[in-house]
Amino acid sequence: MKRKTHILQYFLFSALLLAIMLGCSMLGAVRFGWQEMWQSPIFLNLRLPRIVLSVLVGAALSVCGAAYQSIFRNPLTDPYVLGISSGASLGAAIAILLGLEAYLLGIGACALATGLLTIVVIYRIASIGNRMHTTTLLLTGVCLTFLISAIISFLMVLNHDKMDSIIFWTMGSFASATWRDVVIVAPVVLVGIGVVLYYCRDLNLLLVGSETAKSLGVEVERVKKVLLLVTTLMVAFCVSTCGVIGFVGLVVPHCIRLICGPDNRRIIPYSIIFGGLFLLLCDTLARTVLRPAELPVGSLTALVGAPLFIYLLYRNKKGY
Amino acid sequence: MITLRDLSCSYGDRIVLSHLDTQFEEGGFYAIMGANGCGKTTLLRLVAGLLAPQQGTVLLDGTNVLQFSARQLAQRMAFVRQHPQTDFEFSAFETVLMGRNPYQHHLQNESEADWQIVEQCMKHTNTWHLRFAKPNEMSGGELQRVMIARALAQQTPILLLDEPVSNLDISHQFEILDLLRQINREQHKTVLLVIHDLNMAWQYCDRLLLLHQGGIQYQGPTHEGLTLDNISTVFGVTANLQGDTICLSPRH
Repeated sequence: MKRKTHILQYFLFSALLLAIMLGCSMLGAVRFGWQEMWQSPIFLNLRLPRIVLSVLVGAALSVCGAAYQSIFRNPLTDPYVLGISSGASLGAAIAILLGLEAYLLGIGACALATGLLTIVVIYRIASIGNRMHTTTLLLTGVCLTFLISAIISFLMVLNHDKMDSIIFWTMGSFASATWRDVVIVAPVVLVGIGVVLYYCRDLNLLLVGSETAKSLGVEVERVKKVLLLVTTLMVAFCVSTCGVIGFVGLVVPHCIRLICGPDNRRIIPYSIIFGGLFLLLCDTLARTVLRPAELPVGSLTALVGAPLFIYLLYRNKKGY
Repeated sequence: MITLRDLSCSYGDRIVLSHLDTQFEEGGFYAIMGANGCGKTTLLRLVAGLLAPQQGTVLLDGTNVLQFSARQLAQRMAFVRQHPQTDFEFSAFETVLMGRNPYQHHLQNESEADWQIVEQCMKHTNTWHLRFAKPNEMSGGELQRVMIARALAQQTPILLLDEPVSNLDISHQFEILDLLRQINREQHKTVLLVIHDLNMAWQYCDRLLLLHQGGIQYQGPTHEGLTLDNISTVFGVTANLQGDTICLSPRH
């Protein structure tokens, strides 16, 4: 009975998301009527892939954030704060310099490699002792971000001609989204979300502590490795198409947790829906507020996300 | 049956257990005792398969515990930690429900039967009235009882408990130990209990494993093992027997 209510809620909220996607697609620098919309190449080839991509990336980043928060047992982690997004952007920059843009998975594969390297460093540090202090974890993420942005700046100075396209990756934007990006990102995100959903219950048990989780039947090391690999894969492919977008994975799961409690079997499905919705709305704002000019969507998510997060932190000081 | 064979464990240079050989029979009620830092918790963690020994093996019904999957082990042994972690927001009911995890598949939800088992275990441990409470709303003793309820919900033939009554007041100590003994007698579960209180061990536990300086000082029936000599050697205190009660005083 209870489960049926939840499924009904997911269904209703998904329908709401679809309706809002449709509504947002009608907004923009060029406006269409309902009829001409479906014939316009601007709508079909520019706006629609952009909207689909923003929902996919928003869902992926939120789910990754929720997963990291359980794995690291820390509500303040997300792909951006941990430096994984920056790590992946380094790979993207290297791929551009090597001229791998032409290959379908070229940027994604490079972003994955450096993203994985970043998560290995963080996981190694996090595994020292039973639990990592929030400050150490956050500072490690901040330091890695600094280090990576230094390397990227260095790469940019050495390669003036490609500076523009590298800057794009460090800022985060959906302006150049195409169906090709959607085709690259969608399978990774959908499979990745499926895997995280499969391990929802294990994520709950990880929250109670690794040793307890193991004595309750969770193959802790294997589950952590699979989830870190899958989430990093999602982050890398998101970053490879739209650059670094922060705070989505931090704010969305946190708000959901405040409303429906700590159970990941609720948090993950709602993160998919509301993560997609959040980034869709941010991107719509980014492209409509100053039209025809655009704001970088990453700065908008930070503008919305950071103060909200500080407020939540203040209201809910006890953490989890 | 749990068999320890030539079991050794150390943390860095510090040897905690060396060359332990012993057996825990099915249906036994064992007290594991010894001074602080003598390896009682380490021993329990080795038995639970949470720690790999440097040398030797722990055999559960003839199979090395490290060869079982986490799920298989969780269906055979439940482990109650000495200091339960409290930095999460699950209610007591949800916490106890986690004890049913070893019996559920990944995408399966808890069944009506699981809910009933949880209710029964919480009523047994006198925690049913706390079912909506979060860890930070419970006292240390209440939390300890919730953790014991979770271990019972696992419905395992073996219970490993690391000082389960150390946080409880005297009446709850009796209550929990009575409950454990009742489960031991009626359901023939094997209970391994790390306990500090000599009188409680004397009163409740049939068998005793007394650890001293990484080795076994005594193993056998509790009543024969809790001799004044043994107590004096292991704990470094002077012990007197007054009636049925062991009286201790510091050694000068």
